[in-house]
Amino acid sequence: MSPRHAPTEALLDEADASLLDLVDNVLTKGVIIDGEVMLGLAGVDLVYLRLTAILCAADRIKKYLG
Amino acid sequence: MSRFYVYAILGEPPATPLGSGISAEPLTLLTSSDLVVAVGVMDEPPVATREAVLGHDAVVRRLAEGSTAILPTRFGMVHEASVLVDWLATAADGLRDALRLVTGREQMTLHVFEVEGAVEGAAVEAPDDSDAGTATGPGARYLTQRRRQRREATLPELAPLRSRLDGLIAAERIERRTTPPFRASVYHLVERGRSAAYRDAVESHRDLVRGVRLRVSGPWAPYAFAPEAVA
Repeated sequence: MSPRHAPTEALLDEADASLLDLVDNVLTKGVIIDGEVMLGLAGVDLVYLRLTAILCAADRIKKYLG
Repeated sequence: MSRFYVYAILGEPPATPLGSGISAEPLTLLTSSDLVVAVGVMDEPPVATREAVLGHDAVVRRLAEGSTAILPTRFGMVHEASVLVDWLATAADGLRDALRLVTGREQMTLHVFEVEGAVEGAAVEAPDDSDAGTATGPGARYLTQRRRQRREATLPELAPLRSRLDGLIAAERIERRTTPPFRASVYHLVERGRSAAYRDAVESHRDLVRGVRLRVSGPWAPYAFAPEAVA
Protein backbone atom coordinates (compact mmCIF):
# COMPACT_ATOMS: atom_id res chain seq x y z
CA MET A 1 0.00 0.00 0.00
CA SER A 2 1.45 3.37 -0.94
CA PRO A 3 0.93 6.44 1.26
CA ARG A 4 -1.30 9.18 -0.17
CA HIS A 5 -0.76 12.89 0.28
CA ALA A 6 -3.67 15.13 1.22
CA PRO A 7 -3.20 18.69 -0.10
CA THR A 8 -3.05 21.60 2.33
CA GLU A 9 -3.60 24.30 -0.28
CA ALA A 10 -7.33 24.31 0.34
CA LEU A 11 -6.68 25.58 3.87
CA LEU A 12 -4.65 28.59 2.86
CA ASP A 13 -7.51 30.71 1.59
CA GLU A 14 -9.70 29.98 4.55
CA ALA A 15 -7.37 30.98 7.32
CA ASP A 16 -8.59 32.42 10.61
CA ALA A 17 -7.38 32.47 14.17
CA SER A 18 -9.08 29.28 15.27
CA LEU A 19 -7.62 27.48 12.30
CA LEU A 20 -4.15 27.90 13.75
CA ASP A 21 -4.98 25.38 16.45
CA LEU A 22 -6.74 23.06 14.06
CA VAL A 23 -3.73 23.03 11.77
CA ASP A 24 -1.39 22.68 14.71
CA ASN A 25 -3.25 19.82 16.35
CA VAL A 26 -4.97 17.89 13.60
CA LEU A 27 -2.43 18.25 10.78
CA THR A 28 0.87 18.24 12.65
CA LYS A 29 0.23 16.27 15.84
CA GLY A 30 -1.23 12.92 16.70
CA VAL A 31 -0.22 9.34 16.23
CA ILE A 32 1.32 8.49 12.87
CA ILE A 33 0.51 4.98 11.86
CA ASP A 34 3.10 2.71 10.36
CA GLY A 35 5.60 5.56 10.09
CA GLU A 36 3.57 7.23 7.38
CA VAL A 37 3.73 11.02 7.14
CA MET A 38 0.85 12.36 5.13
CA LEU A 39 1.63 16.05 4.83
CA GLY A 40 4.77 17.82 3.70
CA LEU A 41 6.29 19.98 6.44
CA ALA A 42 6.92 22.80 4.00
CA GLY A 43 3.20 23.08 3.31
CA VAL A 44 2.33 23.14 6.99
CA ASP A 45 4.95 25.81 7.68
CA LEU A 46 3.35 27.93 4.99
CA VAL A 47 -0.03 27.57 6.69
CA TYR A 48 1.54 28.65 9.99
CA LEU A 49 3.14 31.66 8.39
CA ARG A 50 -0.11 32.84 6.84
CA LEU A 51 -2.07 32.24 10.03
CA THR A 52 0.36 34.02 12.32
CA ALA A 53 0.48 37.00 9.98
CA ILE A 54 -3.30 37.19 10.09
CA LEU A 55 -3.37 36.83 13.88
CA CYS A 56 -0.88 39.66 14.35
CA ALA A 57 -2.72 41.90 11.90
CA ALA A 58 -5.98 41.24 13.75
CA ASP A 59 -4.34 42.20 17.04
CA ARG A 60 -3.14 45.52 15.63
CA ILE A 61 -6.62 46.32 14.34
CA LYS A 62 -8.21 45.43 17.69
CA LYS A 63 -5.79 47.77 19.44
CA TYR A 64 -7.13 50.74 17.42
CA LEU A 65 -10.74 49.69 17.83
CA GLY A 66 -10.35 49.97 21.54
CA MET B 1 -10.15 -5.11 0.47
CA SER B 2 -11.63 -2.34 2.63
CA ARG B 3 -9.48 0.53 3.75
CA PHE B 4 -10.06 2.47 6.94
CA TYR B 5 -9.66 6.10 7.90
CA VAL B 6 -8.22 6.17 11.43
CA TYR B 7 -9.43 8.71 14.01
CA ALA B 8 -7.98 7.64 17.33
CA ILE B 9 -6.53 4.94 19.56
CA LEU B 10 -8.61 4.38 22.68
CA GLY B 11 -7.96 2.74 26.00
CA GLU B 12 -11.43 1.20 25.99
CA PRO B 13 -14.55 1.13 23.78
CA PRO B 14 -16.39 4.46 24.17
CA ALA B 15 -19.38 4.53 26.49
CA THR B 16 -21.21 6.80 24.05
CA PRO B 17 -22.52 6.11 20.52
CA LEU B 18 -19.78 6.11 17.88
CA GLY B 19 -21.77 8.09 15.33
CA SER B 20 -20.36 8.84 11.90
CA GLY B 21 -17.10 10.14 10.47
CA ILE B 22 -16.04 13.05 8.26
CA SER B 23 -17.53 11.48 5.12
CA ALA B 24 -20.70 10.44 6.95
CA GLU B 25 -19.36 6.90 7.10
CA PRO B 26 -20.43 4.92 10.18
CA LEU B 27 -17.63 4.52 12.69
CA THR B 28 -16.54 1.14 13.91
CA LEU B 29 -13.93 -0.23 16.31
CA LEU B 30 -11.00 -2.48 15.52
CA THR B 31 -9.51 -4.18 18.55
CA SER B 32 -6.14 -5.75 19.14
CA SER B 33 -5.47 -7.12 22.60
CA ASP B 34 -6.48 -4.28 24.99
CA LEU B 35 -6.17 -1.54 22.35
CA VAL B 36 -9.11 -0.11 20.44
CA VAL B 37 -8.91 1.84 17.18
CA ALA B 38 -11.81 4.02 16.01
CA VAL B 39 -12.11 3.90 12.22
CA GLY B 40 -14.46 4.52 9.34
CA VAL B 41 -14.46 2.78 5.97
CA MET B 42 -12.87 5.11 3.39
CA ASP B 43 -10.99 4.18 0.25
CA GLU B 44 -9.09 7.43 -0.33
CA PRO B 45 -7.67 10.00 2.10
CA PRO B 46 -9.82 13.12 2.32
CA VAL B 47 -8.66 16.49 1.02
CA ALA B 48 -7.57 18.74 3.90
CA THR B 49 -10.34 21.31 3.64
CA ARG B 50 -11.42 23.35 6.63
CA GLU B 51 -14.59 21.25 6.91
CA ALA B 52 -12.68 17.98 6.79
CA VAL B 53 -10.16 19.08 9.43
CA LEU B 54 -12.96 20.41 11.63
CA GLY B 55 -14.78 17.14 11.08
CA HIS B 56 -11.79 15.08 12.14
CA ASP B 57 -11.51 17.06 15.35
CA ALA B 58 -15.26 16.81 15.98
CA VAL B 59 -15.07 13.02 15.75
CA VAL B 60 -12.06 12.95 18.07
CA ARG B 61 -13.89 15.16 20.59
CA ARG B 62 -16.95 12.92 20.50
CA LEU B 63 -14.82 9.83 21.06
CA ALA B 64 -13.01 11.58 23.92
CA GLU B 65 -16.31 12.26 25.64
CA GLY B 66 -16.98 8.54 25.81
CA SER B 67 -13.50 7.35 26.71
CA THR B 68 -11.15 8.31 29.51
CA ALA B 69 -8.03 7.72 27.41
CA ILE B 70 -7.64 8.77 23.78
CA LEU B 71 -4.71 9.25 21.44
CA PRO B 72 -5.87 11.15 18.36
CA THR B 73 -4.28 10.15 15.08
CA ARG B 74 -3.07 12.68 12.53
CA PHE B 75 -5.47 13.81 9.84
CA GLY B 76 -5.61 11.87 6.61
CA MET B 77 -4.53 8.32 7.40
CA VAL B 78 -6.14 5.56 5.40
CA HIS B 79 -4.91 2.00 5.78
CA GLU B 80 -5.93 -1.55 5.11
CA ALA B 81 -7.07 -3.50 8.17
CA SER B 82 -4.13 -5.88 7.97
CA VAL B 83 -1.67 -2.96 8.09
CA LEU B 84 -3.46 -1.54 11.12
CA VAL B 85 -3.45 -4.84 12.99
CA ASP B 86 0.24 -5.43 12.27
CA TRP B 87 1.10 -1.88 13.33
CA LEU B 88 -0.91 -2.21 16.56
CA ALA B 89 0.98 -5.35 17.50
CA THR B 90 4.32 -3.60 16.94
CA ALA B 91 3.36 -0.31 18.59
CA ALA B 92 1.36 -1.72 21.52
CA ASP B 93 3.83 -0.97 24.32
CA GLY B 94 4.36 2.62 23.27
CA LEU B 95 0.65 3.18 22.82
CA ARG B 96 -0.13 1.79 26.28
CA ASP B 97 2.45 4.10 27.86
CA ALA B 98 0.96 7.08 26.04
CA LEU B 99 -2.60 6.07 26.97
CA ARG B 100 -1.59 5.89 30.64
CA LEU B 101 -0.21 9.42 30.45
CA VAL B 102 -3.36 10.92 28.91
CA THR B 103 -5.94 9.00 30.94
CA GLY B 104 -8.43 11.44 32.44
CA ARG B 105 -6.53 14.39 30.96
CA GLU B 106 -6.88 16.94 28.17
CA GLN B 107 -4.61 19.39 26.41
CA MET B 108 -4.31 23.14 26.80
CA THR B 109 -2.06 25.16 24.52
CA LEU B 110 -0.15 28.41 24.94
CA HIS B 111 0.98 29.97 21.67
CA VAL B 112 3.81 32.43 22.22
CA PHE B 113 4.33 35.35 19.83
CA GLU B 114 7.00 38.01 19.69
CA VAL B 115 5.82 41.51 20.51
CA GLU B 116 6.66 44.09 17.89
CA GLY B 117 9.51 46.27 19.14
CA ALA B 118 10.37 43.99 22.07
CA VAL B 119 14.02 43.16 22.64
CA GLU B 120 14.80 39.74 21.25
CA GLY B 121 14.95 37.23 24.08
CA ALA B 122 13.61 39.67 26.65
CA ALA B 123 12.78 37.74 29.77
CA VAL B 124 12.16 38.38 33.41
CA GLU B 125 14.66 35.67 34.21
CA ALA B 126 17.57 36.42 31.93
CA PRO B 127 19.57 33.35 30.91
CA ASP B 128 23.13 33.18 32.14
CA ASP B 129 25.34 33.21 29.06
CA SER B 130 28.14 35.18 30.64
CA ASP B 131 30.78 32.62 29.73
CA ALA B 132 29.44 31.78 26.26
CA GLY B 133 32.06 33.84 24.48
CA THR B 134 35.01 32.60 26.53
CA ALA B 135 34.20 28.88 26.75
CA THR B 136 37.27 27.46 25.04
CA GLY B 137 37.89 24.08 26.69
CA PRO B 138 35.77 21.00 25.96
CA GLY B 139 34.28 21.01 29.48
CA ALA B 140 33.30 24.67 29.28
CA ARG B 141 31.84 24.22 25.81
CA TYR B 142 29.85 21.22 27.06
CA LEU B 143 28.44 23.18 29.99
CA THR B 144 27.56 26.12 27.76
CA GLN B 145 25.81 23.80 25.35
CA ARG B 146 23.91 22.09 28.19
CA ARG B 147 22.82 25.48 29.54
CA ARG B 148 21.59 26.51 26.09
CA GLN B 149 19.68 23.23 25.66
CA ARG B 150 18.11 23.60 29.10
CA ARG B 151 17.06 27.16 28.30
CA GLU B 152 15.48 26.09 25.01
CA ALA B 153 13.66 23.25 26.76
CA THR B 154 12.16 25.52 29.39
CA LEU B 155 11.36 28.76 27.49
CA PRO B 156 12.57 31.25 30.15
CA GLU B 157 10.21 33.98 28.94
CA LEU B 158 7.39 32.00 30.51
CA ALA B 159 9.13 31.05 33.75
CA PRO B 160 7.19 33.50 35.98
CA LEU B 161 3.88 32.22 34.63
CA ARG B 162 4.95 28.60 34.45
CA SER B 163 5.57 28.42 38.20
CA ARG B 164 1.96 29.59 38.80
CA LEU B 165 0.66 26.73 36.67
CA ASP B 166 2.64 23.95 38.33
CA GLY B 167 -0.30 22.56 40.28
CA LEU B 168 -2.41 22.22 37.13
CA ILE B 169 0.07 20.62 34.76
CA ALA B 170 0.65 16.87 34.49
CA ALA B 171 2.98 17.06 31.49
CA GLU B 172 4.48 19.69 29.22
CA ARG B 173 5.82 19.79 25.69
CA ILE B 174 7.48 22.83 24.13
CA GLU B 175 7.80 23.33 20.40
CA ARG B 176 9.96 26.17 19.08
CA ARG B 177 8.72 27.94 15.95
CA THR B 178 10.85 29.28 13.14
CA THR B 179 8.27 31.55 11.51
CA PRO B 180 8.34 34.97 13.28
CA PRO B 181 6.45 36.40 15.02
CA PHE B 182 5.47 32.89 16.09
CA ARG B 183 8.05 31.92 18.72
CA ALA B 184 6.78 28.74 20.37
CA SER B 185 3.84 26.59 21.31
CA VAL B 186 3.66 25.13 24.80
CA TYR B 187 1.37 22.16 25.31
CA HIS B 188 0.12 21.29 28.75
CA LEU B 189 -1.69 18.18 29.84
CA VAL B 190 -4.26 19.00 32.53
CA GLU B 191 -6.88 16.96 34.35
CA ARG B 192 -10.19 16.93 32.51
CA GLY B 193 -12.44 19.65 33.86
CA ARG B 194 -9.51 21.84 34.91
CA SER B 195 -9.21 23.80 31.67
CA ALA B 196 -11.19 26.75 33.08
CA ALA B 197 -8.88 26.89 36.10
CA TYR B 198 -5.91 26.79 33.72
CA ARG B 199 -7.31 29.69 31.67
CA ASP B 200 -8.02 31.66 34.84
CA ALA B 201 -4.48 31.09 36.09
CA VAL B 202 -2.99 32.24 32.77
CA GLU B 203 -5.19 35.34 32.68
CA SER B 204 -4.44 36.17 36.32
CA HIS B 205 -0.68 36.01 35.81
CA ARG B 206 -0.39 37.11 32.19
CA ASP B 207 1.22 40.39 33.25
CA LEU B 208 4.19 38.50 34.68
CA VAL B 209 5.29 37.56 31.19
CA ARG B 210 7.27 40.25 29.36
CA GLY B 211 8.41 40.58 25.78
CA VAL B 212 5.99 38.06 24.31
CA ARG B 213 2.27 37.81 23.68
CA LEU B 214 0.32 34.72 24.71
CA ARG B 215 -2.70 33.07 23.16
CA VAL B 216 -4.44 30.32 25.11
CA SER B 217 -6.51 27.63 23.47
CA GLY B 218 -8.22 24.48 24.56
CA PRO B 219 -9.31 22.16 25.86
CA TRP B 220 -8.23 19.80 23.09
CA ALA B 221 -7.87 16.08 22.91
CA PRO B 222 -4.23 15.36 23.71
CA TYR B 223 -2.91 15.63 20.14
CA ALA B 224 0.49 16.89 21.25
CA PHE B 225 0.93 14.00 23.68
CA ALA B 226 0.09 11.30 21.18
CA PRO B 227 3.39 9.78 20.12
CA GLU B 228 4.18 10.48 16.48
CA ALA B 229 6.05 7.27 15.90
CA VAL B 230 5.63 4.31 18.19
CA ALA B 231 6.32 1.47 15.79
